[in-house]
Amino acid sequence: MNADSYVAIAFWILAIGMVLAAYAVVALPRIIHSALALVLFFFQIAGLYVLLRAEFIAAVQVIIYVGAVTVLFLFAIMLTNRSYAPDSNPANRQWIAAGVVSLGLLGTLLATLGRQTWPTGGQVPANATVLLGQLMLGPFILPFEIAAILLLVAMVGAIVIARES
Amino acid sequence: MAPAQVDFVPLIPTIVVTVTALAVLLLGLWLRGEQGIWLAAVSIAGLVAALVFLLGLAGPAVSERRAAFDGMIVADNLSTFFGAVALVIAILTILLSEHVLLIERFSQGEYYALVLLTTVGMLVLTAATDLIVLILGLEILSISLYVLTGFARGRLGSEEAALKYFLLGAFALGFLVYGSALVYGATGTTTFGQIANVLRAPGASSPLLLIGLGLLLVGFGFKLSFVPFHMWTPDVYEGAPSAVTGFMAVGTKAAVFGSLLRILTEAFPALRAEWAAVLWLLAILTMILGNFAAIAQRNVKRMLAYSSIAQAGYIVLAVIAADPLGRAGVMFYVLAYTFMNLGAFAVVVAVADRGDVGTTLDHYVGLARRSPILALAMGVFMLSLAGVPPTAGFMAKLFVFTAAVRAGYVDLAIIGVLTSAVATFYYLRVIVAMYMSAPAEEPAPAPALRVPGPLLALLVIALVATFGLGIFPAVTGDLVGGTLALAK
Repeated sequence: MNADSYVAIAFWILAIGMVLAAYAVVALPRIIHSALALVLFFFQIAGLYVLLRAEFIAAVQVIIYVGAVTVLFLFAIMLTNRSYAPDSNPANRQWIAAGVVSLGLLGTLLATLGRQTWPTGGQVPANATVLLGQLMLGPFILPFEIAAILLLVAMVGAIVIARES
Repeated sequence: MAPAQVDFVPLIPTIVVTVTALAVLLLGLWLRGEQGIWLAAVSIAGLVAALVFLLGLAGPAVSERRAAFDGMIVADNLSTFFGAVALVIAILTILLSEHVLLIERFSQGEYYALVLLTTVGMLVLTAATDLIVLILGLEILSISLYVLTGFARGRLGSEEAALKYFLLGAFALGFLVYGSALVYGATGTTTFGQIANVLRAPGASSPLLLIGLGLLLVGFGFKLSFVPFHMWTPDVYEGAPSAVTGFMAVGTKAAVFGSLLRILTEAFPALRAEWAAVLWLLAILTMILGNFAAIAQRNVKRMLAYSSIAQAGYIVLAVIAADPLGRAGVMFYVLAYTFMNLGAFAVVVAVADRGDVGTTLDHYVGLARRSPILALAMGVFMLSLAGVPPTAGFMAKLFVFTAAVRAGYVDLAIIGVLTSAVATFYYLRVIVAMYMSAPAEEPAPAPALRVPGPLLALLVIALVATFGLGIFPAVTGDLVGGTLALAK
């Protein structure tokens, strides 16, 4: 077995695990279990990034999604009264229509993307994280600055919503 | 690693508005209650300064194109026009909101700051020539609007509307980001000009690219509330504070249509047949459903929501045409819609009164006696939205229908004219209620409505513009690009 086949094995383990975790998020009856399944899902995405040799993105994925986002979810859920009720993650009656649309989208994506030749970037440089930082403050300085305004808007908005009137 | 080609000149208006927003946010800590008028004054001063810079930047040669930051953002005819419209919309919105903030006891600093930041989003969006910058601009615009929608704290309708808008808006953003990622995957670039370059090569079109473009169109469809992506519109328009609804209706239309026009003509001219086919179907659905659903509405804000869906359907006709006449059509329609729709919402704000309660058709019964000026203004705006000459709405419709026919879309123009006839019904119903219906039972005659000064100023500006654009459409000639020669 060479390195590529180990990568392939790891990919399929992660891929199947991700689909199962994503299904658990939707299907588990208790909302708190859904949130925990989401943690599992986010971890496996980080695994995919590692396979793609994007270690920095993987670390960011763990810190932001696993660390911040889901902890926020769990706090919000635990602050509600019925966080452990057996019907706290209900499905509505449109699940058949939603399923048909989702399967249609999945079929379209599988049928087309499988035949697509993907442009790849070649070898990942060893100092990718350094290059990423230089890109953000070099060619991509404008989106970087605009994102700062976006964060400001989000902060002002959060304060307006959260403040007692 | 080459640094970006740094050129802040095209960004000056955006920076001016951002700084004004921060200043207003700070000043809001000290200026409260009646003193809030100074916040409005500072905001308007900042917006006017930005407008001066924007038009000064365009200078004598509006059509000259100035790209900056490696082609991520430009100052050109399109960005100048839609940027100027965005700034005018923000100024009018501040006139519209001034007394509402007092009677509703909204915190004024945050309100004005969010209106200004929404405007920053619009300016970035209309000047963006890069998918990343486009998404960031759209998000600044959207997040500010989510918060403004929920600004009436404690009013259930407003909070529900904000949540709905946020959830569906975030969903729409997902489509935009996924579409952008696929377009990047297929072309290896996010800049419009380079995407177009890649697509110019024969055989460059791929399924990946088409799916990416399709998802982008879905995202834009959500933001512009095309049918079948319009579900959120009536609830959000009804629940948001009326002044915010007016701002949202004209502001997002101006900025997002500007951006849609740019991305389709600058990044995807090679795929014109594909996106025109999609927009063709969306236009038909939007015109028909928007107009017929509006007939059933008794709430004026809901009626105006469906009306805005229908109007978006007409603007799409000019987008599909995509030639210079079509471009000019989009611009003129957006400008006309800005004045007639913000004018109509000014009347809605005045009639709705405290807590936004009086928004059903019944509250308009006998308005002609309670406030002749409001009734007259509303009548003009309704006729303009219906497309009756000599108002701006008529010229705008003439423009887009001509553009559609010239581009070979006679079918779309016919559907447009027929649905406009249907639309006349629900617009005229408001006029009938105001002038010809007697209140069923009225113990005492309703008190006369007082129209606050800023609102009156807004009404006068909107009325003058509605008639001005209808009678002398050529006044916009320079900005619209000199393509106004309809009778050629």
